[in-house]
Amino acid sequence: MTGDDEAAAPASGPLLDPAAFARVPGQVDTGDHGAHARGIFDVELLDRCISCGFCLPVCPTYALDKDEQSSPRGRITLMRALESGRLEPDDPVLQHEASYCLGCRACETVCPAGVEYGPMLEQWRDHQWRAGHGPRLARWLRWAVERRAMLRLSGLVRRFARTRGPVSDASPHVMLGCAERALFPSVSRAAVSLVPGADAPAEQGCCGALHAHNGDSAGGRAMAERLGQDLPGTIVTTSGGCAAHVAEHLGRDRVAEISDYLTRTGWAPAGRLMTTGADGKPRPVRVSLQDSCHLRNGLGVSGQPRELLERIAEYVEAPSAASCCGAAGSYSMLRPRDSKRVLAPKLDEIEQLGVDYVVAVNPGCLLQLKQGLLARRSRVKAVHLVELLIRAA
Amino acid sequence: MALSVKAPTELRLPVPGDGPRAAVRGSDSVRRMDAPGWGMVDDGVVARLRAIVGAEHVKVDDGAVAAFARDATPLYAARPDVVVLPGSTEEVAAVMRLATSERLPVVPRGAGSNLSAATLADAGGIVVVLTRLDRIVEVDGDELLAVVQTGVTTSALASAAAARGLLYVPDPGSKTVSTVGGNVATCAGGLRGLKYGVTRNYVLGLEAVLATGEVVRTGGRLWKDVAGYDLTRLLTGSEGTLAVITEVTVALVPMPPATGTGVAYFASLADAGRAVARIIADGVVPATLEFLDRKCINAVEDFAGLGLDRDAGALLLFGDDGASDLVEQNLSRMARSCEKEGATGVTMAREVAESEALLAARRCALPALARLAPVTVLEDVGVPRPRIAEMVDRIDAIAARHGVTVATFGHAGDGNLHPTAVLDPADEDAAARTKAVIGDIFDAAIELGGTITGEHGVGAAKLPWLPARLGAEQMALLSRIKTAFDPAGVLNPGKTGSVFEPGDDGEVGR
Ligand SMILES: Cc1cc2nc3c(=O)[nH]c(=O)nc-3n(C[C@H](O)[C@H](O)[C@H](O)COP(=O)(O)OP(=O)(O)OC[C@H]3O[C@@H](n4cnc5c(N)ncnc54)[C@H](O)[C@@H]3O)c2cc1C
Ligand code: SF4
Ligand code: SF4
Repeated sequence: MTGDDEAAAPASGPLLDPAAFARVPGQVDTGDHGAHARGIFDVELLDRCISCGFCLPVCPTYALDKDEQSSPRGRITLMRALESGRLEPDDPVLQHEASYCLGCRACETVCPAGVEYGPMLEQWRDHQWRAGHGPRLARWLRWAVERRAMLRLSGLVRRFARTRGPVSDASPHVMLGCAERALFPSVSRAAVSLVPGADAPAEQGCCGALHAHNGDSAGGRAMAERLGQDLPGTIVTTSGGCAAHVAEHLGRDRVAEISDYLTRTGWAPAGRLMTTGADGKPRPVRVSLQDSCHLRNGLGVSGQPRELLERIAEYVEAPSAASCCGAAGSYSMLRPRDSKRVLAPKLDEIEQLGVDYVVAVNPGCLLQLKQGLLARRSRVKAVHLVELLIRAA
Repeated sequence: MALSVKAPTELRLPVPGDGPRAAVRGSDSVRRMDAPGWGMVDDGVVARLRAIVGAEHVKVDDGAVAAFARDATPLYAARPDVVVLPGSTEEVAAVMRLATSERLPVVPRGAGSNLSAATLADAGGIVVVLTRLDRIVEVDGDELLAVVQTGVTTSALASAAAARGLLYVPDPGSKTVSTVGGNVATCAGGLRGLKYGVTRNYVLGLEAVLATGEVVRTGGRLWKDVAGYDLTRLLTGSEGTLAVITEVTVALVPMPPATGTGVAYFASLADAGRAVARIIADGVVPATLEFLDRKCINAVEDFAGLGLDRDAGALLLFGDDGASDLVEQNLSRMARSCEKEGATGVTMAREVAESEALLAARRCALPALARLAPVTVLEDVGVPRPRIAEMVDRIDAIAARHGVTVATFGHAGDGNLHPTAVLDPADEDAAARTKAVIGDIFDAAIELGGTITGEHGVGAAKLPWLPARLGAEQMALLSRIKTAFDPAGVLNPGKTGSVFEPGDDGEVGR
């Protein structure tokens, strides 16, 4: 389809006859609600939004700019204009907003109408970042994590956990993650020791979340399914983002994020973590959590990591713990400036809490927090949940 | 043209398309303003707007203005030519001077959560978004007031007040998103209307920019002030047609130490209606008195699973606040009044969380209904309180006659009903029949001595019915008031106050 074709009048009319509501027939238009012409979006998903605006206050990009265009409702209005054919398929604002959105899905948690924004964003990016479009870096990233040889190679350099031999579906399998195994090898090692009887088969690919969030939802699904074959039975992951993606395609019963798994299986620490206070006396370690967006908003797992932390340390809730840190998968690489704008107020807040550690449950968040705190030469350290748990085990 | 309502013949209703965009509806890629009367948003105007508010706060691209094509009102959309986000009162004033001198339509916009197409840019022009003015200037616990910029959300104001042990009373269902300026401009109501009143009862003073760019400060930190016409009240509920509000001074009250809520079920809405009258006759003026009909109860239950009685014909939510023993007393008195009128069951919330859950049942009525279909059309009629049950009966009869599903909920204590049509998109002429239903409902409300809108405002959506509610003399007076504030007719044309006289060569907003 050429751009010209697509810009032509919508093939199917709007949901309801606009003239029926116009004060003068034909003068008021009903917008693009219910007008489906291009077949980019799932009709049912797109129609569900009632434009009430309840999602505005929780959207991190709206908080930065106070601009409808960069709000969930505004983006859905844009998606509708794209679907109806009233905006050019590669309108620069469409391109901008499809990538400016963090994909954090905070909007879903407050939506009274039950809009499933996550899948709609995937469909939007499938279109916006289709072959020859979209950020080149996103394409490169997708390419890189597809290369199993590269993933294996990273194991020569970094000592992430991996076990050899036949993979049975009786024991839980720790997912190594594509970024995590290279960046934070100690995380998978800790996870394997924390989960009784777990293995970490060396032969496992990337879960495909990166694909799904970067314009290739079909590829993302295929990779999740392949991972399901590599790791039969229960998959335990230290990445909230991967957990949500894999659960979407393999079903929730196949996948458990580690804090979810450990609380369900009744993990108990050997003791509490202590440190030395300013007065030279011992005091409990103080920690705070940064939620993983997809874990919290996609899978509804938020109490579990807090519960575990309360068992081993003094837990302090950060007011914005539930809102995105700006890592957002590959976002920190694709939009480094915006990513830092989202992160900055959060770091201010964390530094004021007087905690020793800020805890992440997703490798992307961990990297984001580590880099941000390092740049500020902050006293606070960022760690993965399992790195603290293993010290208290 | 006034649909089922007869418009006075000597008034021509405002026609949105008579504005500059008449010729371009439906072809948004070419935006021009070529009708007589209006100026053009050309490169020169855009450059001047950029000079005023900064280039990053001016939007002209197709996609950027498309995001502002609608508000929370279904079935109405129109793209503005340009969107600006000013950062100060001075910037607003400069934008208004430009708009008046170039004769460009200006639509002030807060969060865009209104339900009457009140921020519809149906004459094109400039949308002025006020969300960047979001500073809480002060909360004064001694004076019991707060001063906020217009773009502060209702919830942010309420939280700032609560942090000082104070209550900001107006609590529209949309409070997490709506702006205080938007609340003032629509005179928003909420769940506390009967005992406490609505937004207008809490506005002490305003800073507002006139269409011609002058900045006026009305009212002030004063509980009594009769110097001149009450412009504060006039601007409250003016829906962005008279001035752009930039700062609001509101009254706060001490936080009531206790609140309590209960719920009563009835076999029919008529019984619930009588219970409302009985409660008040028995001497209680409750803080909350809300109702849901059977369809709403079931929709809410499907959505939120609060354990409501699905078989009941109607649900009445009652609540009070104040000293805890008084609250207790009033709640049991209200429960007794309900029982006297044949309540089939009464439950009291024993703790705050339960109370909140019950209030949530009422707050989520609209979203719960919205889940039933992609399009729901919510109306907002008001009748004298004793006639609620009668009005609900009429609504049901009208809906049945036209074969449209209408669920009704509302503020029983205020006589304010929200009949909500749930449109089946597979049903071809659903929209036409819904239009007929709405027209008949307005007729019925007016016949019962009521109004076409209790709290959502007239906007573009209800302007055709306004003459039937107000009559020719008041319509004319409204338009003269509009002219006094806004001689060029640039502020939110096609809404309240805009009247087209025949033969005025397309002059708008006179
Ligand atoms: C789910 C839901 C529930 C709702 N519940 C209620 C309820 O319980 N009670 C109720 O009354 N309303 C309710 N509303 C309607 C709506 O939220 C209110 O009308 C609210 O006051 C609008 O505020 P806003 O900031 O969104 O204003 P907008 O929608 O942006 O604007 C509304 C009107 O005010 C004008 N305006 C906005 N800001 C200014 C300004 N600074 N100066 C001049 N004019 C201005 C606009 O031009 C427009 O005419 C509800 C809406 C939704 C979607
Ligand atoms: S909260 Fe949901 S229904 Fe409301 S505007 Fe946002 S996405 Fe749409
Ligand atoms: S996913 Fe996050 S950033 Fe994107 S619209 Fe929703 S809340 Fe905003």
